[in-house]
Amino acid sequence: MTAYASHEILAATPLGELRIRSFCRPEEIRTLSFDRQFGTHAHYRSLFTKRESLERKAEQPDTSVVLAIADAVHIVGFGVLAYPDPEERWAELRPNLMMEVNAIEVNRRWRSQKVAKALVQMMMVHPLIEAKIAYFVGYSWTWDLDGNRMSAQEYRQMMIRLFEPFGFTEYTTNDPNVCLKPENIFMARIGADVSAEARQAFKWLRFGQSP
Amino acid sequence: MKYPKEIVLKDCTEVLIRPLAEADEPALRRFYSEIPEEDRWYMRLDVMDPAVIRGWVRDQQEVISIIALVAGEIVAHARLHTHKYGCYHHQGRLRIIVAPAYRQKRLGSWMLLDLIHLAMEKGLREIRADLVVGVEQPAIESACKLDFFKKAVLEDFVIDPRGQRHDLLIMTKQLHKDWGDF
Repeated sequence: MTAYASHEILAATPLGELRIRSFCRPEEIRTLSFDRQFGTHAHYRSLFTKRESLERKAEQPDTSVVLAIADAVHIVGFGVLAYPDPEERWAELRPNLMMEVNAIEVNRRWRSQKVAKALVQMMMVHPLIEAKIAYFVGYSWTWDLDGNRMSAQEYRQMMIRLFEPFGFTEYTTNDPNVCLKPENIFMARIGADVSAEARQAFKWLRFGQSP
Repeated sequence: MKYPKEIVLKDCTEVLIRPLAEADEPALRRFYSEIPEEDRWYMRLDVMDPAVIRGWVRDQQEVISIIALVAGEIVAHARLHTHKYGCYHHQGRLRIIVAPAYRQKRLGSWMLLDLIHLAMEKGLREIRADLVVGVEQPAIESACKLDFFKKAVLEDFVIDPRGQRHDLLIMTKQLHKDWGDF
């Protein structure tokens, strides 16, 4: 398995400085504490509720686990760029052409500090990014609407504003889970080195067709 | 909404969806001229009247239109009718016309989904579709799948070209604040 070098930026926020670090290794994650807010709330449950889940993700090939770290040891946000599960539609483009923004989350206290933007920025600092189709699927039922005091439509717009500056575009798909609710969203960023054939195959895949 | 957008139909036809532009007026007139007369019968306006098409093309403030194109030809037209003022200002009314050759391929559903997004972006609270029972059955089924509910049935309200009466079904979909219902 290729080991990638970590990159790090410092984000100054009114709440203090954060380290945003890509390609965090499992043993490194193990030394950090995981904010208790990443748990189950009244109308929302965090995508990762245990630090161990992030450690397991970090073990997967080419995966970048990006962490927002406060006070040198405390995880207050995370992003995961990884290959989709093999049984998912988006794993069909071979070889490993698509990578998913598997998770992006900032704990409630640190929101509105542009932490998510820094997490996306660091997820995109991936040596393979221009050879891949990075994608993101937003399901409204996973969104913390209460915590953000937003409607699903406002949250959707926020996700578009978050990902668009990094080259993501909203695409239409007949993926049943995406189609389940009009506020759900599918966005993708096609790397500069992705071939015309692969782009075409991606279009067909979005609609569950094969040419 | 970001346009133009590409979709692929059930039969693998590639379609482009984008807003209606002024330059589309002749193509839109051509599109409606090829819609069967029986289908045109159920429209509220006479689409063979050039002034009607011109109105939709030129004024997109209250009637927002998107079109679907295959090889540069319009194959579907979807409209969101809105009101700037008054008791209906919170509401939009939808109308989707698909060319016969492109029906039963989910194109109407894609257009419907886009109109829902446009309505959401405009901040509407409710959208409405008036559909003729027994005539526009696929559209009724498509609307049901997208959480439209039956609001009212106006019995024997419309008359078909042969003089037979049909029920008019008013379907609405709420676009309220806490839309995620999980």
